[in-house]
Amino acid sequence: MSAVSASSARPAGQRFREISGQIGWGIVAWVAGIAFFLPVLWMVLTAFKPESAAETWPPKFTFSPTLSQFRLVFSGWGPYVTHSLIATTVSTLLVLLLGVPAAYALSVHPVKHWRDGLFFFISTKMLPIVAAIGPLYVIALKTHLLDSIWLLIILYTAMNLPLAIWLIRSFMLEVPGEMLEAAELDGAGRVRQMGEVIMPVISPGLVSTALICVIFAWNELFLALNLTTTNAATLPMFLISSVPQEGLYIAHLSAAATLASVPVIIVGWIAQRSLVRGLSMGAIK
Amino acid sequence: MAEVNYVQATRVYAKGTPPAVDALDLDIKDGEFMVLVGPSGSGKTTALRMLAGLEPLDGGRVEIGEKDVTWVHPKDRDIAMVFQNYALYPSKTVAENMGFALKMQHVPKDERDRRVREAAKLLDLDDKLLDRKPKALSGGQRQRVAMGRAIVREPRVFLMDEPLSNLDAKLRVQTRSQIAELQRRLGITTVYVTHDQVEAMTMGHRVAVLAGGKLQQCDTPRQLYDNPVNQFVAGFIGSPSMNLQTVPLAEGGVRLAGTVLPLPTAVRTAASQAGLSELVLGIRPEHLHLADGTGELTGEVMLVEELGADALLHVRLAESGNQVVARAEGRKPPSPGQQVTFHVQPDDVFAFHPVTGARLAG
Amino acid sequence: MTVLEDLAPPPKVEVRPRGASRREAWSRRLPLLPALIYTIVVTQIPFLVTLWYSFQNYFFDVPGGAHWTGLSNYKAVFTNSAFRGALLRSVIMTASAVIVAMILGVAFALLLDRKFLGRSVVRTLIITPFLVMPAAAALVWAGPMLDPNFGLLNYLLQPFGVHHVAWLSTHALGSVIVVMIWQWTPFMTLIVLAGLQGQPADVLEAAKVDGAGALATFREFTFPFLRPYIELGILLGSIYLINVFDAVRLMTNGGPGTATTNLPFYLYEEVNNAFDVGGAAAAGVVTVILTIIVATFALRMFARVFQFEGAGS
Repeated sequence: MSAVSASSARPAGQRFREISGQIGWGIVAWVAGIAFFLPVLWMVLTAFKPESAAETWPPKFTFSPTLSQFRLVFSGWGPYVTHSLIATTVSTLLVLLLGVPAAYALSVHPVKHWRDGLFFFISTKMLPIVAAIGPLYVIALKTHLLDSIWLLIILYTAMNLPLAIWLIRSFMLEVPGEMLEAAELDGAGRVRQMGEVIMPVISPGLVSTALICVIFAWNELFLALNLTTTNAATLPMFLISSVPQEGLYIAHLSAAATLASVPVIIVGWIAQRSLVRGLSMGAIK
Repeated sequence: MAEVNYVQATRVYAKGTPPAVDALDLDIKDGEFMVLVGPSGSGKTTALRMLAGLEPLDGGRVEIGEKDVTWVHPKDRDIAMVFQNYALYPSKTVAENMGFALKMQHVPKDERDRRVREAAKLLDLDDKLLDRKPKALSGGQRQRVAMGRAIVREPRVFLMDEPLSNLDAKLRVQTRSQIAELQRRLGITTVYVTHDQVEAMTMGHRVAVLAGGKLQQCDTPRQLYDNPVNQFVAGFIGSPSMNLQTVPLAEGGVRLAGTVLPLPTAVRTAASQAGLSELVLGIRPEHLHLADGTGELTGEVMLVEELGADALLHVRLAESGNQVVARAEGRKPPSPGQQVTFHVQPDDVFAFHPVTGARLAG
Repeated sequence: MTVLEDLAPPPKVEVRPRGASRREAWSRRLPLLPALIYTIVVTQIPFLVTLWYSFQNYFFDVPGGAHWTGLSNYKAVFTNSAFRGALLRSVIMTASAVIVAMILGVAFALLLDRKFLGRSVVRTLIITPFLVMPAAAALVWAGPMLDPNFGLLNYLLQPFGVHHVAWLSTHALGSVIVVMIWQWTPFMTLIVLAGLQGQPADVLEAAKVDGAGALATFREFTFPFLRPYIELGILLGSIYLINVFDAVRLMTNGGPGTATTNLPFYLYEEVNNAFDVGGAAAAGVVTVILTIIVATFALRMFARVFQFEGAGS
């Protein structure tokens, strides 16, 4: 039988090893994080440099910062940003408009061949759009849609729709079946059920879906490059144009790149969890 | 030799919060089946995990076989644990699950297989289950695999964390006796955690009742039932639970149902010494004997629950209006609305301090 | 807790309710039709047109429009070493980027799964490359990072004896692959991390009690548990990466020569520089057929990946 005794003493070195192990791996993680972030940091840093300080050897870490590059970008990017904003928001809205009913028809009240439907949609994503770019150009030319913002809207919608349908479907499947049954017993028809039961429950999911669509549309280059020139040129094209044939451009490019990327970066930082779910098409919750 | 000792063992999760386990002193004899029982949040699972080495101690120590194991890694404590949700290795077969610890100990394959098959036989696990993966098994089978995983190791101490809680009622009763029988056969010191006092009473050699991180009483089931040391234990042990009523003191006893119920002198002395004007009276339902009009306590039957062999009467006592539960013969119980009287033996009456809950003169 | 779900779980309501009338069937189809018709029109028509043009001789800069030429475009594709080269390079680029990104992804996920000071900050830092606009990433790497004269990388590698390397000339393919890895490691990290955080804690505790050390735990439990996630990451990553265009176009423009020309870029060049609509169409069709073969494979994997082994109980 033990008398009142003090706490047992920890063997020498155990706590030290535990803590140093913890700190050690923490340091490795920090090094990895900083290494990965470095190019982004460098991009943002360079955006504040006057051109003379941007193309130097060795590269400058201290300099007198200026906003002139940003001002330059702001003065030049007007139409590009507008086109990007229009193409992105309108296509995303269209995606939601088309995608929500489609997801409903593949989840809550499914059609007979819902599996085939789902896989049809995903198959369009797997076929490379690049393969059809030539004929696409010709079609656009013949329908007078070349260099039109509507062409981009149409194509971005088609690009994001499959992903959205899979995603929204995964959210709809989370609505408890009993909730819908209760609504049905209360006299709500299908449309009512959709509006009053399903939509409120999946609205955070719709936001995540919209976010993913916005990211992909905003960043899209290939289609914009090939099918637009001036009237519908989007932000990625602006970036390209900021690389002139000659002359100094690095700081200006960095400023443009920073401004172009910042919206998506912020959105992504905030919605990290939705990001995973969106990219895995709803597989990972 | 594998006795287990908790010496002032303490676990505090966050500074400033009350301890999850508060200075626990518990001695478990070699080969004993000790049950830790209590409501959720009582600290019983934490205490078990401290013994396993899965929770660190913030004070005191834990000993196995008289050796201080407070800072010893779980794998070096020579213990085996059955987890509440079984924690079977999903990517491994049943045989691999059961043999894993032995594999980690570099036991040669033949001996591993032999011991696995022995344990499987002991637990009535069919041979063909050995090659299946956990997800292909039923709940009961998984439970047995979890037990088998522990048995195979032939440890000094078995730790079990509510292993029956995921089984349906019938299976639970069956498995309960099987576990008790198994422990008797193997003779290995076992620490068993449950929230179900029926399990505690039927399986344990001794039972430790915990509440709020503190040990309330550690005794044999019989002693816990007959001699609860405080109000909590009295109300926790026994089903249906003891009737506990706050009643005012009167000349010679306490006032209940319009009459004075006599209390032993010792109790009355203890009460007046503590300066009490009222106390908590405890009477078990089975000690309220239905008397045909001759009982001291009268009341009206509000509800009758017929259980077949017995009936539980929910009675509203006269004058004071206290609601009590009484056990009666199942054959012809009184009907709701009927006036009844009860007789109580003075020895069957418990008295507790209204504030501290401590038993008054036991 | 994150859970890896069946990618195509069955719907809630029975597919063929009692007394399924034609009306019921149509009322179920109706919501699907707009999206379905839209997708068919916008995606299938261009491919049908592509198919049509693949049998035509059609050069933009040649007057007279398109005329039938049978299988000669296809013959050209199969004999054209440029196409095969682009195909090979696509495979190399995608495979190496996916594999390295996944290895790094697992490593980072393991690091981020532990608790340490500033863990959420590090997590945010690691995922940022993925959020940078690919066009921006390509241009920033091409200029401020990799330039031989003032690029940051040369500066950082100086102590290791590296002097003013013209990365985009001498190590073009590697540079492009590095940018692909840089942008997609976060994706792999997030997927694997979601898996790690979904690992049931009691299984790991049981392993601890059974005597498994850190390495044994990873080998026997964590890695088998992560396999579906890793496979999902590789699958999805390949789908996204095989179509990489921005980095190739903006960093090296396919060069030097054709050193970094992958399939998307090859097709782009055919249309933009050679103005060969017919040839590009044929190459496109061949690409599509190859993709269908790989995709059928991949789709079967999709279904298989989710024979997910659940927790013990």
